[in-house]
Formats: sequence, C-alpha cells, structure tokens
Amino acid sequence: MSDYICHDFKTPRNDTSKRLPDTFKAIPILFFLSLVGSAYFMTMDWMAYKQAQKDKLEAEARKTELDDAAKKLQDEKASLDSETTKAETLAKWMEGARNVQPISVAISRAMPPEVRLSDLTIERSEQVPANLALSLRINGGSASEVGLIETGLSRLQYRSVSPQQSKEGEVIEYRSTLVRQEQ
Amino acid sequence: MNPKQLACVVLMMFIGIVTYCAQIAHKKVVAMKEDATAASDAANAAEMARQTAEILVTKTKAETEELRRFLTTWMPHAQKIQTEQEVDGAFEFSVRDRGIFIKSRKSEVKARREDKFMPRVVQTTIVVEDEYAKVMNWFGDIEKRLPLARVTACSLTGGSTVRQLRLDVTIETPIVDPAADQIAQPEKKKKA
Repeated sequence: MSDYICHDFKTPRNDTSKRLPDTFKAIPILFFLSLVGSAYFMTMDWMAYKQAQKDKLEAEARKTELDDAAKKLQDEKASLDSETTKAETLAKWMEGARNVQPISVAISRAMPPEVRLSDLTIERSEQVPANLALSLRINGGSASEVGLIETGLSRLQYRSVSPQQSKEGEVIEYRSTLVRQEQ
Repeated sequence: MNPKQLACVVLMMFIGIVTYCAQIAHKKVVAMKEDATAASDAANAAEMARQTAEILVTKTKAETEELRRFLTTWMPHAQKIQTEQEVDGAFEFSVRDRGIFIKSRKSEVKARREDKFMPRVVQTTIVVEDEYAKVMNWFGDIEKRLPLARVTACSLTGGSTVRQLRLDVTIETPIVDPAADQIAQPEKKKKA
C-alpha cells in the first residue's frame, strides 16, 4: 500500500483562464443566427439570380428575334423604295414618250384638200420632254386651217401654248408649244 | 488571449466572412437583375422599332401601290429591249414588214451615268421617203413596236416626187436594267 493517500475528492480549483464577459456569450448565438440567415438569404439570392438570368436570356432572345423581324421589314422597305424609284423614273420617261404619229396624222387630216402642208416639224423639249415644239408651214391656206389644226390637237388632249403665226404671201407659218392636258 | 477569447474571435471572423460573402452574392444578384431589366428594355425598344418599321412598310405599300403596278405593267415591255442590236432589229423588222424605203439610218448609244435604271439610250436617226400612208403607218408601227421609244424630233417634208413624203425622225430607245438597285447607290457613296 502506498504511503500517499489518494481519494476521489477534488479540491476546488481556480479557473485556468478568465471568464468571458456576458456580451461575448452572444457570439455563438450570433454565429448560428448568421449561419441560418446567410443560408436563407443566399438561397433567396440564388433563386433570384437564376430567375434574373433566365429573364435576361429570354429578353435577349426576344430582342434578337425582333431585330431580325425589323431588319426584314427594313429590307422590304428598301426594296419597295427601290421599286418606287424605278417606277418614278420609268413614269417620267414615259411621260415624254407619248406617240407623235397621231399628232402628225391629226394635223395632216385637218388640212383641206386644196391646202398643202409643206413642212411639219415636231421637236421634244429637253427640259420638259412631255412638251412638244410644233412648227409648220401651210401653202394656200388661211387662219381657219390653224383653227382646224388646234381642234384636231385638242382631240388628242394637246393644248397649244403661245402660238405664233405669220403669213408671207401664200405661206402661213405657225409655231406653238404643245402641252398635254390630263383629264 | 485565452482559448475562449480566441474561439470568439474565430467565430466573429467567420460571421464576418459569411456576411461579406452574402453581400458579394447579393451585389451579383442586383447586377444580374439590372442586366435583365436592361435586356428587357432593349427588347421593348426593338419591339417599338419593329412596329415602326411595320407601319412604315404598310404605309409605303399603300402609297406606292399605283406606281408599282405601273412598273409591273411596263417592265415586260422594257425587258424586251436589252441591247442595241435588239433596237436595230426592231427597226429592221418594221421596215421589212411595212416595205418602206429608207434613205439613211444611223444609231448610236448614249450613256446616262446618273441613271442606273436606264444606263443607256440608243439614239436612232432615220430618214424614210415613201407614200404618205406607208410612211405614217410605218411611223405608227415603230412607235408601237418600241413602246418605250421617245421621238425627240420629227420632220415631215415633201419627197422627191409629189406623191412622196419624207420623214426625218430621231428616236431614243432606253435600255433598261431591271436589276439596278436605285436605293443602294447613294448609301454606297456615303460609305465611301
């Protein structure tokens, strides 16, 4: 048997380290609360992030689709504009390409058999191709033949603008500008 | 510093790190939400642009319908004549068909650089001399054969005999380029 007495009673001992202040006791509680809180907020943020990402992708896809549609419409507009410009060019040309043969025939037919049409010139105006410069010489006629010519031309919807006529002996010289009258 | 204090410091650091990470994550979410809003605004703007373009197309279609119908009607006639030889051919055929006497004929091609749709014009000057009816019928026939042809000058005088009539006529026939892009040209110039 040992000389030393050994028993179960523990002698009261002083703390090895100082006790924490009371406020510090809240730290573990704060730690757990922060864990729970951060888990909640981060989950919500994650869901919101995914939703925003999805919305962004959808919006971008919609924008691409709409841009394509707008581009197609712009192309269609450009094509229409091109076609319209062509049509305007052609219409402008055609305005100055009306047949001249009916005019010369109408003038010839307006002459009575005893009167001779010695010269007939029709020139198209360079500035306004729809207008025609008419110049003719009548042998053995009078002013009434000029009236007949104007009547014949009016049937073809042409109006004589600033007509001039002069008579030298038997020859009547007549000049005018023929302007088409639209109905 | 005793172990309890050390544990507290570690816990506080942990709380700080968690809060910081949560803030970073939240900022990212806010940024992504802003991006989504911006993308949505851009999509709405694109929708507006599409609607505007659609209105413009509909308006242009309605406004230019008559002109485009005119073009559709006349283009087949314009496409019939694509070369100088075809113009000459039309004259030759008409002369042969009508049996008319030609005193002279010459043709030259004139370039129209400002007009891409009608880049060239064939100018034909022809002098015919024959009976009145034949000359007039031929004149009407050539104008009918070349509906786009423009008589720039015509002179009717007496022929070498009493029964004959002399016709000096200058006719311009345009060579149309149906594939010409009338709108693209100014844009190309602007880019240059």
